[in-house]
Amino acid sequence: MRLEHWLYTIPLRLRSLFRRNRVEQELDEELQYHFQRKIEENLALGMTKEEARQAARRDFGGFEQSKVECRDMRRVNWLQDALQDLRFALRQLKKTPGFTITVLLTLALGIGANAAIFTLVNSMLLQYLPVADPKTLVRLGDDSDCCVSGGIRDDGKYSLFPTEAYEYLKKNASDFEELAAMQAGFEFRPITVRRDGTQAGARSVMGEFVSGNYLRTFGLRPHAGRLLTDGDDIKGAPMTAVMSYQTWQRDYAGDASVIGSIFWVNTKPVTLVGIGPKGFYGDRMSTTPPDFYLPMEEMPVLANVPYVHDPEARWLYIIGRVKPGTAMGPLQEKISALLRQVLAQRTDYSSEQGKIFLARVHVVLTPGGAGIQDMQERYSSQLHLLMWIAGLVLLIACANIANLLLVRGMARRTELCVRTVLGAKWGRIVLQLLTESVLLALLGGIVGLVVAYAGATMLLKLAFPNAQGLPIHASPSATVIGFTFGLSLLTGVLFGVAPAWIAAQAQPVDALRSGVRTTAAGASRFQRSLVVLQAALSLVLLVGAGLFSQSLSKLRHSDLKLDPKNRYIIHINPQAAGYSQTQLEALYRTMKERFREHPGILKVGISGYTPMEDNNWSEIVWVQGKPNLNAEASWFRANGDYFDSVGTRVVMGRGLAETDTSNSPTVAVVNQEFVRKFFNGENPIGRRFGVRGPGSTADFEIVGVVEDTAYTTVRWKEHRMYFIPMTQRPASWKGPIENDESMYAGAVVLQTERPMNDLEKLVRMTIAGINPNLTVVKFQTFQQQIGDRFNDERMIARLTMLFGALALLLATIGLYGVTAYTVARRTPEIGVRMALGARRSGVIAMVMRSALSQTVIGLVIGLPASALCVRFIKTQLYEVKGVGAGVLVTSIVALAVASCLAGLIPARRAASTDPAQTLRTE
Amino acid sequence: MSKPSDLVQGTLDLLLLKILALEPLNGFAISQRLKQISGDVLQVSDGSLYPALHKLEQEGWITAEWKLSENNRRAKFYSFTRLGRRQLEKEAGNWDRLSAAISHVLKLKEA
Repeated sequence: MRLEHWLYTIPLRLRSLFRRNRVEQELDEELQYHFQRKIEENLALGMTKEEARQAARRDFGGFEQSKVECRDMRRVNWLQDALQDLRFALRQLKKTPGFTITVLLTLALGIGANAAIFTLVNSMLLQYLPVADPKTLVRLGDDSDCCVSGGIRDDGKYSLFPTEAYEYLKKNASDFEELAAMQAGFEFRPITVRRDGTQAGARSVMGEFVSGNYLRTFGLRPHAGRLLTDGDDIKGAPMTAVMSYQTWQRDYAGDASVIGSIFWVNTKPVTLVGIGPKGFYGDRMSTTPPDFYLPMEEMPVLANVPYVHDPEARWLYIIGRVKPGTAMGPLQEKISALLRQVLAQRTDYSSEQGKIFLARVHVVLTPGGAGIQDMQERYSSQLHLLMWIAGLVLLIACANIANLLLVRGMARRTELCVRTVLGAKWGRIVLQLLTESVLLALLGGIVGLVVAYAGATMLLKLAFPNAQGLPIHASPSATVIGFTFGLSLLTGVLFGVAPAWIAAQAQPVDALRSGVRTTAAGASRFQRSLVVLQAALSLVLLVGAGLFSQSLSKLRHSDLKLDPKNRYIIHINPQAAGYSQTQLEALYRTMKERFREHPGILKVGISGYTPMEDNNWSEIVWVQGKPNLNAEASWFRANGDYFDSVGTRVVMGRGLAETDTSNSPTVAVVNQEFVRKFFNGENPIGRRFGVRGPGSTADFEIVGVVEDTAYTTVRWKEHRMYFIPMTQRPASWKGPIENDESMYAGAVVLQTERPMNDLEKLVRMTIAGINPNLTVVKFQTFQQQIGDRFNDERMIARLTMLFGALALLLATIGLYGVTAYTVARRTPEIGVRMALGARRSGVIAMVMRSALSQTVIGLVIGLPASALCVRFIKTQLYEVKGVGAGVLVTSIVALAVASCLAGLIPARRAASTDPAQTLRTE
Repeated sequence: MSKPSDLVQGTLDLLLLKILALEPLNGFAISQRLKQISGDVLQVSDGSLYPALHKLEQEGWITAEWKLSENNRRAKFYSFTRLGRRQLEKEAGNWDRLSAAISHVLKLKEA
């Protein structure tokens, strides 16, 4: 029915619009035909020619009126009006390029900044994974507990699961269509991959071990080949893997022959069975998404880890797809009960104490459609802060636009009044002004999109400088485009129509009275309040920017108790290269010798991990002859050169030495914080401690104390640490040596005589020369590694600074606009004053006084507001307790200088008023 | 001369649709036909006939075509569409109900 209606009417409407002349001609012809026939009829009745014409005319009624009525039937008048309005609006905007450019820039910057932030917010916080029906996915757990943990969690909340528990849940949780498990910490365990039969060397890439039904649970179809199945995830089955589409394109140029071919994964042969779907980036947002998906039953063989089938090791995340209509509340109870059932069989949950903990065991179900929310949690507070700041900038921009449009509305008052007097309907006038605002807003939106794209690109570079395959793109999505235009329309219409309305309400008489004389009432109170608001908001943003910069500077200048000069850090992965624990001592010796052969290399530190990187292992410490404090200390293994290579000074006793081998007595070096906590400042040299419970207290003899070098983050105060030799195993470590993953070095630290720019090539060659399967996971200078740890803080400091500057710029433009407008309105008055003897300096002072008074009020409001806002960002600041005098003075001076500039230009113009000229025009 | 507003709202549309349901006609012929069938009771000025026809055309109820008229001149002929038939049925039904209701009321008065 509707469709058929359009079939008839749309061509007619189009014809009325675009073939207007032809339609008009036909109308005339049609009416003329009727008219002629009428005359003929009258003639036939015996009238004279003249009588016949007159009678016909009389019968017809108004000829032109009839035409107008026919035209009204065409239903396209509104469109023709709109086109006319649009043409007029374009002409108006072209007539005042200064105004147009200022409004467009203000809109574009304000909206562009918001759209850029929104691009990030949208793709990070509001997106589902690109999988089938993400709404029915449910995650078991609600935090980003990572990566491999043992023992009992005191609060009983499970987000990380042992394999055994996963298999039990999968078998018994009947409300799930599918329940998939995935390795929680794959980002910390790269794999080494080399394609069989090619010259290309082995490379370190990301591999995620997942359950066989993982890809099926997400409802994915392979891009090529097949996906993993339950059959792949069986112990002893032929080893298979699926490659991500992105990796296939990036590393193998989409070569179809890789499917079915052999890849050497951590030196073991694995058949690549298929390519994942385009766009799928795994179960979470990551800067290093998985390149390969491997069945988790392959993990013990490929990764040589002991925990896959350890019922006490928690290392899996679980996401499932629920059956339609499943209620979450009862399901959560059911899953928690099932988990308690399976855990009850474990010895640690069977003891008296264990039973208490067992009762606490529970799982919190969360929506799984967006995947594991690790990155979202990490960035959410910063993104929200940025959203607030961008919102404030937009508010300032809106105030500017309102001001500018108000000024323009006032200036056009005469024109509007004349139009009203000449009979224009106010509806038509408002519609025309509306057209102008909407046009401005849309143009602003378009420029804003460009700004947004540039801004989002910059943001991504700032936030993730080293990202390889981050699934976030700067190009605006449909949502972002909608957001941008929605925002610009809202701003344009809201702040465009209100002034238009005020202007349209003007009494025509006022306007027609020529020569409007005003004194102080140049700008309305509303306009002045807007400028005050802008000044206050800019101050808040400037103070915020100052605080974040101060915080960053404190972070950067904090004493890390290390020396990054001429130091290079090479991350390696001997475990993935197929080394067994018993081969490691020889490997480390070879590595040290080979590097030492190169002239210029002074020290070769080898260790589990290094200062200022995102890694941490910790254990509860038991000191011999002292009560247990139930306190943890971080630890890793290191070789004899290590402390020198990172610049950590030994303050007591000795550091680790080459002589601390697997055959010598087990020793440890501890840091000062460790001594403070466990020895209360007593001399710790010669004392003993262990980390395997009360029976292990004799394990390590403390031979030295080192400074508190910063590990993980500067913010971690009271970070107790101990360091043990690379290959020593104390008496109480009963487990087979094959299960001791701590013996694998994660990094080599080289100290050189002088900066060596070609070191990376040398390092890669040396390492490949030792073993082609030994890959360089990452090569950085120590300085770069430290810099990376400040990346988030640096980004926030830079962005708040940028937004502060933007706010200041907009506020300056606003103040300038209002002052210039006031001066223009008061020109006659100023002329008269000067004719009566006022001096130029007096005029300048007068204008400046009125301009600066708004800034001062803005300051008075802005200061307490800033003090209030500090409370919301305090948690993100480092050792900055409140608004310091330095930050405050800088912000106030910046605002004052900007205000003076904004006031001075119109003031000088006012002072150059020619009294004679003014008097003549009066 | 009576104005179209003297006709019950929508009646002119109904009449025009009914006339065109019989055969395609040009404007002049329609005005003659109107006079012919309703005598002097319903008078429609020629000037208000065309806006009414154009309205029906824009609604898609009738469609227009330029053809040679009976005296061999180019004239705009209107003809009935499927949508027009549906509209005619609807309006005729309305009219029947309305007139029945009114005559019923009038009869009540007599009794």
